[in-house]
Amino acid sequence: MDLFGPILSAAPQLLDPSVIIAMIVGTAVGIAVGALPGLSATMGIAVLIPLTFSMSPLVALGMIAGIYNGAMYGGSIPAILLRIPGTPAGIATVFDGHEMAKQGRARLALDISLVSSSLGSAVSAIALLFLAPPLAAIALKFSPADYFWLALFGLTTISVLLADNPAKGFLSACLGLAIGMAGIDTLTGTERFTFGTLDLLSGVDIIVLLTGLYAIPPALDLMLGGNAVAKDELSIGGKRESFRWRSLIPVWIRSSFIGLVVGLIPALGGNIAAILAWNEQRRATPEKDKPNYGKGMPEGLAAPECANNADTGATLIPALTLGVPGNAVAAVILGALLVHGLRPGPELFRDNAQTVYGFMLTMLVTAGLMYVVGKIGARAFINVLRLPPRLLGPMILALTTVGVYAVHNSMFEVWMMLGFGLLGFVMERLSVPTAPAVLAVILGPMAEESLRRAFLISRGDPTYLVASPISWVLITLIVVTLLTPVWRSIRARRKPTGEDAAAEA
Amino acid sequence: MKKTLAIAGALLATSIGTTPAFADYPERPITMIVAYTAGGGTDIAARTLVPYIEEELGGATITVLNRPGAGGEIGFTALSQAKPDGYTIGFINTPNLLSIPIARNARYSLDSFAPVADIIYDPGAFSVRPDSGITNLEELVAFAKENPGAVTYGTTGIGSDDHLAALRFERLTGVKFEHIPFSGNVDVRAAVLGGHIMMASMNVSETVPDAEEGTLVLLGQMAEKRWDGAPDVPTFQEQGFDVIMGSDRGIAAPAGTPEEILTTLSEAIGRAVQNPEFQEAAKKQDLALSYLDSEAFRAHLEQLDATLHTLWDEEPWVQE
Repeated sequence: MDLFGPILSAAPQLLDPSVIIAMIVGTAVGIAVGALPGLSATMGIAVLIPLTFSMSPLVALGMIAGIYNGAMYGGSIPAILLRIPGTPAGIATVFDGHEMAKQGRARLALDISLVSSSLGSAVSAIALLFLAPPLAAIALKFSPADYFWLALFGLTTISVLLADNPAKGFLSACLGLAIGMAGIDTLTGTERFTFGTLDLLSGVDIIVLLTGLYAIPPALDLMLGGNAVAKDELSIGGKRESFRWRSLIPVWIRSSFIGLVVGLIPALGGNIAAILAWNEQRRATPEKDKPNYGKGMPEGLAAPECANNADTGATLIPALTLGVPGNAVAAVILGALLVHGLRPGPELFRDNAQTVYGFMLTMLVTAGLMYVVGKIGARAFINVLRLPPRLLGPMILALTTVGVYAVHNSMFEVWMMLGFGLLGFVMERLSVPTAPAVLAVILGPMAEESLRRAFLISRGDPTYLVASPISWVLITLIVVTLLTPVWRSIRARRKPTGEDAAAEA
Repeated sequence: MKKTLAIAGALLATSIGTTPAFADYPERPITMIVAYTAGGGTDIAARTLVPYIEEELGGATITVLNRPGAGGEIGFTALSQAKPDGYTIGFINTPNLLSIPIARNARYSLDSFAPVADIIYDPGAFSVRPDSGITNLEELVAFAKENPGAVTYGTTGIGSDDHLAALRFERLTGVKFEHIPFSGNVDVRAAVLGGHIMMASMNVSETVPDAEEGTLVLLGQMAEKRWDGAPDVPTFQEQGFDVIMGSDRGIAAPAGTPEEILTTLSEAIGRAVQNPEFQEAAKKQDLALSYLDSEAFRAHLEQLDATLHTLWDEEPWVQE
C-alpha cells in the first residue's frame, strides 16, 4: 500500500483546471513539434522552460509531459504521410507506415500509430510510477565496456536493413561512420575532419543529418511531380477499414518491453528503441511473412511506434531517481525541474513526493490525451495529402529550413542540411539506403568513445571488455543476430525452399 | 523624390541626435548571446537572471540568443565580433573562454572582450565513493602513491576546468592519475556512482547533492574560501594544496563598448544579482553566486589567463 499512498494523494492535483489545460496544450504542441521536421521535443521543452518560471510546478510539468509524449507520436505523422520522419525516432515508422499510406491505407496507418503510441506511453508511465526506484539502479550498472557492446549490438541491426544489396548498405553505413567522426575528439581534444572551420568543431548534429537525408528528397520528389501518395488512393484511405486489432497485442507487449529497457539505459533513445523493436518484430514473425516487412505490414508500423513511446517514461526513471538523464529531452526536463526547485535524486521522492508523483501521473494522463487529440487531429493531417504536390514541396523546404536554423541559430547548419538533402536525393536515385547512415552517425561515435574509454580505465587490458555479465549478454545477442541469417540460409540450401517455409509457418 | 529625401534627412537627424546620448541607454532591445544550448546550465541561469536586469534597466528588453557549439567558441566568437554599441552582450564561461585560444587558433582573445560583471564562480572539487575509504586529499595522495595508476578520474573533457585542476594537482603532488574524459557532467556522475571510475572531478555545486545524500564523499573544494552552499567542505588550500580552479559564468560586451554603457550595465547587473527574489531562484538551482564588478572581473580573468598559460607551458593538455 506504501506504493499507492503517494499516488492517490497526488492524484487530486490533476483535477486543477490549469493543470488540465496545460496538459492539453502541451500534448497538442508536442504533436505539432514532433510532426514538423527539424523541430524536436528537446527544443520545444527548452523554449518553454523560461515561460514556466512563473507557473506553479505541476502546471509546467504537465505541459512538459504532454510535449514529450505528443512529440514522440507526432513524428510518425509525416513519416506515414510523406515519408519524412518528424523526429529521429520516426525512421523505422517510415519502413512500413509510408508503404501502407501508398497502398491507400493512410487512415488505418495513422490509427495504428496513434493507438500503439498511446499504449506505449501508458505502459511507460505506469512503469515510471511503480517501478522507478528499483529499476533506477540498472542505469548505473553500465560500464564503458558494456556501452561499447551495446553500440555494437545497435550497429548489427543495420545488417538487417541491407536486405537487397549489402554493398550499398555498407557504403551508406561507412558514410555515416565517417560523418560521425567529424568534430573534436572527446578523448584527446584533437580536431578531426573540421577543415579548419569553427562550425564543424562540435560535429554534425543528428537533426541536421536526419532532416537533410529524409525531408529534402521527398520534397524534391513532390516538386518534380513524382512519388507522392496519389489522390485517388487517398479516397480509399478515407474509408474505415476493418482491422483485427487483437493481432497487434503480442506486438505491443514485445515492443513496450523493448522500449522500456532501452529507455532505462542512458545514452540510447527512442530512435534505437524503434529500430530494435521493428527488427525484433520482423524476427519473431513466421518465415513466410518476413519478406512483407518494409512493404506495409501493420505489425511493422505498430512495433516502432509503440517502442519509441514506451521509451519516454522509462528515460525519466534514472533521470528523476538518480539525476542521470538518458537523453537530451530528459536532460532538458531535469533543467525544468531544477528551475522549480525540484532537485532530482532520491530526496526528490521524499521531499517533493506530491509534485513528483503528480508529474508522473501527468505522463500517464497525457498518454490518454494524446489519443483524443491525435484522433481529432487525424482528420486535419490527412488533408495534407490533398494539397497539390507542387505546393507541398516548397512548404516542406521552408519548414525544414526554419526548423534546422532554430536548433542552434546557425546558418551553416542550414546549408549543411541542404547539402545532405542533395546527397540523400542522389542516394535514393541510386537505391542506396539512408537508414544505415543515420544509425551509424548515432552509434559509431558511441562505440568508438566507449571502447577507448574502456581501454583507458583498464590501461589497455582487453579482458576488461568481457569482465561484466552485461557484456556477456550483449555479446550473445550480437552473435545470435549475426549468425541467424547465415544459419537460415544454410538450412534453406539443404531443403527445398517451399518445404522449409511451410515447416516454419 | 522630395519625400524620400525628407525621410532620409529625418532618419539622419535622429541617428545623429541619439549617438552621443548614452543617458538614454538602452532605447532598443539588447541581445544576450549564450554560447551553450537552450535548456543547459548557463542558459537557464541567464534566463533566470534576465528579467531582473531588465527591471534594473528601466524595463528594457533583453533577448537571449543561443549560439552553441565548439565548447562555447562559436558563441564567444560571435560576441567578440558584435558591434560594440551595448546592444549585444553575452555570457562568457571560464576556463573555456581562455583555454580555447591557448589550445587552438581562435578568432578572439581575452582582449576582444570588455568584462561587465562576474555572476557565478563554481569552484572545482574532487569526490569519491564512500566505499573507497578515502576522506581527504592527503589520503588520496597516499593511496595514489601506493597504487600507481589505480586512481581513475572522470572529467567533462579535455581542457575543462575539471581536467586542468587535476593536472595542476598532479604536478603539485607528484602523483599520477588516469584521466577518463567524458562528454558531460552527467556521464561523469553516472560513472563514479556506478563505480566504473574511482574519482570525479566535478564542480562543487554539481557534487553537493550527492554529498548530502551520502552517495559521494567531497574531498575538497578549489576555492579561496568555502562556498556558502558547502560550508563543511575544506578548501584545497586549507589542506595544504595550492589549487584554485573553477568555472566562472560572467557577462561581457565586445571590446570597444563605451565606458558609460559598461558602467550602466555593470551597476544594473549588480543590483539585479542582489534582488532577494533572484537570490531565492539561484539558491533553488544551486548557483554559486559570486558577483564581481567589471574591474574585479577583468583582474580575475587576467590572472586566470596567466595561470592557464603557465599550465600549458608545463603540461599542454592537448597533444598534437
